[in-house]
Amino acid sequence: MRPLTEPETQTLFTKLANYTGPSLKALIAPPPSSTSKEDSRMVFRMHQSRVYYCSLHIANLATSIARPNLLSIGTCLGKFTKTGKFRLHITALDIIAPHARYKVWVKPNGEMPFLYGGNIVKAHIGRWSEDCPEHQGVVVLKMDDTPLGFGVTARSTADTKRLEPTGITVFRQADVGEYLREEDTLFTT
Amino acid sequence: MAPTRTVKSSVKGAKASSKTSTLGAKTKSWVSKKLKAPPPKQQKTKPAQGPSKRKRKVYTDKELGIPKLNMITPMGVDLPKGKKKGKVFVDDQQSMMTILAIVNASKEGQIESKMMKSRQMEEIREARRKEAEARHEQRKSKLEEIKDSMRKKRKRKPDVAVDTEPSDTSPKTLKGGNSSRKRVSFA
Repeated sequence: MRPLTEPETQTLFTKLANYTGPSLKALIAPPPSSTSKEDSRMVFRMHQSRVYYCSLHIANLATSIARPNLLSIGTCLGKFTKTGKFRLHITALDIIAPHARYKVWVKPNGEMPFLYGGNIVKAHIGRWSEDCPEHQGVVVLKMDDTPLGFGVTARSTADTKRLEPTGITVFRQADVGEYLREEDTLFTT
Repeated sequence: MAPTRTVKSSVKGAKASSKTSTLGAKTKSWVSKKLKAPPPKQQKTKPAQGPSKRKRKVYTDKELGIPKLNMITPMGVDLPKGKKKGKVFVDDQQSMMTILAIVNASKEGQIESKMMKSRQMEEIREARRKEAEARHEQRKSKLEEIKDSMRKKRKRKPDVAVDTEPSDTSPKTLKGGNSSRKRVSFA
């Protein structure tokens, strides 16, 4: 387990910034209510090509566990591929969702198709953030604001208005259905 | 007999050895005494050889500052001096904030440019659509005009020859197929 290097940090932040706005700063900055500053600081740690987000206190405690024995620490954000790219996992949804820049709300009839790994068609969209460009990361929510996953827009908001109801509007990247579908591989290293 | 001989011989050998040893010691001392003379000669020769060896010192390319030609230094072999070996970690909040600010700024710029592009495209599309609509409208109005003119013509014809028309048409239809066809197309 080690901290991230500079290019790794940049890659990670670029990926996160795809989905979040400038409020991403809140991820690094400590919460104002905390009393002991240094220990409550949130840090990113890399362990076997996976990036974990946890408090410094926990990260320091984890150093006492041998590397092969350490399975997970804090929240797993995703993993670095062998080509140096970063792939976000569904486990990062809890961190991304509160800071999302663009959102798409899915109608109840579109929830299950999305949770089974399908893309979102225009007919299933209940509401969505205005002025969203093409190929932009969006967080997918239920109509009652429960996050279901995230994806990438296939078309801009203006283009979507002209689209037929069966046309794909959001390409799925990750959904909470993965917790069941990818149960065997999600937490293995 | 043989053992006695051997004993004698051994004694002799011992004696001889002792003799030789004494002789050796003597010779050593003698040799040492004799060798004591040449060292000044050697000392004389040594300083003569010394400076010549120092002059022959081989300088490396680095010392001479000769630029390296046609050489590829593999990554990680030629490390700059005074720099940390290995990865440089980013763990302090300040540096992370700066990286985040850079990333956010670039992302913001990207989104802005995308939005600008999409807006421009939208404007172009809107302009084209309006143009096409106007053209369509123009064509439609032209057609309407022609239709109206034709209707007027049709209306005039019965005014001119109200009574003659039935009589005129019947013979025409009887005369040839061409006239009848025209009438059908405009009816």
